[in-house]
Amino acid sequence: MTTPMDWTRQPGLLKGRTAIVTGAGGGIGRGLACALGLVGANVVIAARRASTGEETAELVRRDGGIALAVETDVADRAAVDAMTAAAVEAFGGVDIAIHNASSGLSGKAFKLDEVTDADWDEQVGVALGAAFHLAQSTLPCLQASTAARFIVFSSSQGLHGGAMNPVYTAVKSAQRGFVKALAREWGPHGIVVNGVAPAALTDAARTYLASDPARSAKAMASFPLGRMGDMRDDIGGAVVALCSDYWRYVTGQTIMVDGGYYTAI
Amino acid sequence: MAAGTTDTGWLSGRQVWAVTAGADMASAVIAGLLDAGAKVAQLGDDAETLAAGPPDAVKLTGSLASQAQADAAVEQLETASGLPDLVVISLLPKSALRLAPISALTEAEWRDGACEGLRALLYLLRALKPRIEGRNVAVALIGPSLSLVGCPEMVALSTLLEGQRGMMKSVARQWGGLGVTLNWIAAAPRALSPWFDAAPLAAKPDAVSVALGRGADPRTEIAPVLGFLGSPAGRAITGATLMLDGGEFMVP
Repeated sequence: MTTPMDWTRQPGLLKGRTAIVTGAGGGIGRGLACALGLVGANVVIAARRASTGEETAELVRRDGGIALAVETDVADRAAVDAMTAAAVEAFGGVDIAIHNASSGLSGKAFKLDEVTDADWDEQVGVALGAAFHLAQSTLPCLQASTAARFIVFSSSQGLHGGAMNPVYTAVKSAQRGFVKALAREWGPHGIVVNGVAPAALTDAARTYLASDPARSAKAMASFPLGRMGDMRDDIGGAVVALCSDYWRYVTGQTIMVDGGYYTAI
Repeated sequence: MAAGTTDTGWLSGRQVWAVTAGADMASAVIAGLLDAGAKVAQLGDDAETLAAGPPDAVKLTGSLASQAQADAAVEQLETASGLPDLVVISLLPKSALRLAPISALTEAEWRDGACEGLRALLYLLRALKPRIEGRNVAVALIGPSLSLVGCPEMVALSTLLEGQRGMMKSVARQWGGLGVTLNWIAAAPRALSPWFDAAPLAAKPDAVSVALGRGADPRTEIAPVLGFLGSPAGRAITGATLMLDGGEFMVP
């Protein structure tokens, strides 16, 4: 058991900065939103369903943070533009854009032969189409910021070539190419671009691990830290660091936030 | 001109399928495979590009725009040449080769440039599977190495290339038990195509930027690497990225 993060040590670290988090209606995105809220950022929660987005906003506010939930289908360019406009109207700009949203099919196992066009369109649309939308939509705001960050949530699957779902592996690897190229393109604008490859103890992971303790113990042996990351304290903590001034000189990287699970880079 | 292998006949009688949709990045490699005695059947999506390639290859046109079209195209290859020992793939839609900041791309340009070449690879690999499983076939994908370091004004291309490379790794895991190997050849961009002469490629700043002082010559230095991957000696290599850039970035 790990001691929860003491967030009182970093009050106001991102105070006054506005962060968009896509896919923040639950899971890792919710953890990111809560972490960013705890360090003073104005958090814009882009969630596919208004109800789950508002739940996350309430969690942020409960901890003293500032949050705005905006119902957003990230695969829809107009919806992303409307969400960005709402962020600007509420907070005057955007400093941090985090593309975390992931298709519901991401965790599903597929053989290559079994991938349907609909599966493909869904996963590619959320992973790559939405990254494009968020980048185009937020660029003017990020150019105007003095601490601009663009972060894409990728996966170690994209690096080690997970066999489970070749579409997921492909799009997560593609996001790494996106990050590297965009970092070079936006560096002259002063915008820092990075990827994050997390190993998070999501609800799905928790259920999977609980279903077979022996198998889970074996799986945990692959983590030098012996556990998967807490969505707010471990994954969110790393993102807060990436968004802070302390990491302003790191760009074009995909940071493994995975307890040491994949070290072969 | 680099001094390459002087061996001849190291692919004598072996059947190569080359699938080269989009921009021509593989003609010189195909010429090198023919030099080595391979029989090459080349499938492309553009008759003009095919015609400009090595004259000794069997040339076929076909599309990878849908699964049905990919199945039909690969069936043409089998009918024309028999089953392959080695499959060489280069899928770079011309739409991906455009120098422009991401802010200047339309939705359609992004989709065509970053995503369609990835979908084409999905269709192609599935069409190939029944013809290569259980036969110790090597599949080698060729792309410019720029995606490993990133390139401004080429976000769509960098995204596409890394997507294809990721799919290669996943499928290498899924098909390893079927006796199929898949690998990625990341070549110095300017060695593959003069199109990259105008691209703002990243360069390794160093007293010695490129260890060999040059990229690999596709005909004499990349083609033999493919031949090795297709040989019994290369059977243990799969899911790998072979950086043939003359020792520039030396990526981890």
